[in-house]
Amino acid sequence: MFKKVLVLIAFVFIALACSSSDDGSGNTSDNFDRTALLTNWADNIIVPIYDDLNTLLADLVVKKDAFVTTPNQTTLNEFRTSWYNAYKVWQYAEMFNIGRAEEINFAFQMNIYPTNVSDIQSNIESQSYDLTNVNNNDAVGFPALDYMLYGLADDDADILEFYTTNTEASKYLTYASDLTNQMKALTQDVTSNWSTYRQTFINNTNNTVTGSLNKLVNDFIYYYEKGLRANKIGIPAGNFSTTPLPEKVEGYYRNDVSKALATEAMGAVKDFFNGKAYTSNVTDESLASYLDYLNTIKNGEDLSVLINDQFDTAQANIDSLDDSFTNQINSDNTKMTETFDALQMAVVLLKVDMLQAINISVDYVDADGD
Amino acid sequence: MKKLVLSLFIVGSMLTSCSSDDDNGSSGSQVVAPATYQFERNGVTTVNYGGQTSRILMGVEFVSALSDNTKTEVELDGMFTNTGDYFSTSELNTSGKDIRSKTAASNDYFSANTTDGNAIKSELDGWIANQVNDVFPNWNTIAVSGTAGQIQEAGGGSIRYVNSKGLEYNQAINKSLIGALIADQILNNYLSPSVLDAGDNITNNDSDVLDGSNNYTTMEHKWDEAFGYLYGTDDALAPQLNQDSFLNKYLSRVEDDEDFAGIADDIYNAFKLGRAAIVSKNYTVRDQQAEIIREKISEIIAIRAVYYLQQGKTNLGTDYGSAFHDLSEGFGFVYSLQFTRQPGTSSPYFTKSEVDAFVSELMTANGFWDVTSETLDSISEDIASRFNFTVEQAGS
Repeated sequence: MFKKVLVLIAFVFIALACSSSDDGSGNTSDNFDRTALLTNWADNIIVPIYDDLNTLLADLVVKKDAFVTTPNQTTLNEFRTSWYNAYKVWQYAEMFNIGRAEEINFAFQMNIYPTNVSDIQSNIESQSYDLTNVNNNDAVGFPALDYMLYGLADDDADILEFYTTNTEASKYLTYASDLTNQMKALTQDVTSNWSTYRQTFINNTNNTVTGSLNKLVNDFIYYYEKGLRANKIGIPAGNFSTTPLPEKVEGYYRNDVSKALATEAMGAVKDFFNGKAYTSNVTDESLASYLDYLNTIKNGEDLSVLINDQFDTAQANIDSLDDSFTNQINSDNTKMTETFDALQMAVVLLKVDMLQAINISVDYVDADGD
Repeated sequence: MKKLVLSLFIVGSMLTSCSSDDDNGSSGSQVVAPATYQFERNGVTTVNYGGQTSRILMGVEFVSALSDNTKTEVELDGMFTNTGDYFSTSELNTSGKDIRSKTAASNDYFSANTTDGNAIKSELDGWIANQVNDVFPNWNTIAVSGTAGQIQEAGGGSIRYVNSKGLEYNQAINKSLIGALIADQILNNYLSPSVLDAGDNITNNDSDVLDGSNNYTTMEHKWDEAFGYLYGTDDALAPQLNQDSFLNKYLSRVEDDEDFAGIADDIYNAFKLGRAAIVSKNYTVRDQQAEIIREKISEIIAIRAVYYLQQGKTNLGTDYGSAFHDLSEGFGFVYSLQFTRQPGTSSPYFTKSEVDAFVSELMTANGFWDVTSETLDSISEDIASRFNFTVEQAGS
């Protein structure tokens, strides 16, 4: 009898071992509360970020108006400060390429750099332009204002001349004004739209390529891989070209802000991953909690921990860089590529391990094929 | 008791059914390799590796231009990066392909180590620059220890053009590219699950979803691109070998050494079977073949490294021209060791820092002019010790 029991126990164990080997993949129907996740993203992250951005752009318009009325060093400085404050918050907003933002290619109209100086100059010259036209994606937004506020000349006195004594001063003022108004209008549009889009977003819990989770996870990884890793670090460091391209850093004309902007972007990524509210330290359902719910382990460690650790490592690399990435590239580019490498290590964790765990496919292609 | 035996029998049978669950190909679809590397869908070939052929052809022209002292650094850099239309055909010039961007650029080794990848690219840039700035101006100077110039092999043999340490940059670059470009792309990129299985490649291959308008699935194509770096200038259906100056040539050399005869078939068969496994959706068999290829191609590099160091050793002190030529080739193969791949691991047989240490041993002081037999033997022994061959087998 005792032996029979033993055999039976062995039998059960083996049956268990067998069946457990089946459910490692294909978890299309886990019971994780996606609604709670999407709600946290919408209410505590996305909408508050857009609200903040919209407020800061309203301030930018005020400061711009003051500058246009009375262009002098004081109003220029205030215009610049407002630009920088908004640019930092933009780092949090850029990843949400969904809803209205996706329809109007919001990010393309706000932060394509390097900006195209000759396009800007010909717009100013002609006074005839459609800022929403795709051709102007690289002549608008934060990078275009960067040029208008810092790049017209080498020192402030000469920059101010463009807006005062220059024979075309009114054209320069108009362009700076139009750029700013356009950024505000776009942001207002996207922000307002969320009051109705919110419910659509939360309700769309299915796991198809058009599901909210699926899309936003892809946006998130794309932002990390392209917006942060490639645009801010890899491209200027020369990882996609034969030589480094120090003029391709973000905020090139002001120049001492590329590190600060990258740091904001890194913070945005980390907060989003952990579901941290934008306006407080409260966290709720997130990609990290989803992975923990699925008990996703890699090399004996929680995947969520590995990802956070790698984010911290990457941030430590960023911390070691010069405030100006242009200076960093020219003095010691190795530190830039080491930062890129640290960022890349998390790409694999996010794009392969995380996506596999939550059963989502990548909806964009790398351009590395041949 | 009978019941117990019976129960154990059942348990035993469950154990086997359980393990076959892991599908090592035993219970999965049986993969049969075709006679040649020929694969079709609806009667049309699915094999395509034009980009690899282009890069090999660029490499051949680039390497031969390195021995032409009328070339400028701009022209040679232009060939390395394919900018400026310096190749002989417009197909190559307008192909959109280049060598440099694929040098030390595999997904497994360099996507998260662009720092080393860039350092290796820059090192090659530096060798090109040195060839133009140090060796070309001394084209008609007789090389002596510490001075770049020409040196003739004994008995009225070939003239070699070396730097002040006796190194032929054209050989160093040619042989280093066998590792940095060819082997790295094959072993650590295209045969790697990180590339073969990227994105939706498995799902698409499982359902025969083709890559855009092409007649292949993405996974099939990735495997073919690995194949193309070895056989891109050869006859895919009946490889002749020795068709270019890169890995294809040195597979031929190793095959011709009776100690290693059979390696060419081993590699070709593994490529065929692995490709057939992709068609049969059997990724276990596919990966087994990839590991075979990783081991064998790594061996080619190691065998040739030892071979040239040993050949160079025999002429040291008597025929510097011949010795330097062999040692320069050996230098490139040693450099290539960092791109090899130990099967079953994600590591090369020798790390970059181990290779850098070999290189600095070879290049210390006046380099090949005063390198000793002991140094060449000790490097040879170090290399052979990590492979299944002896210095004697490789050295002759």
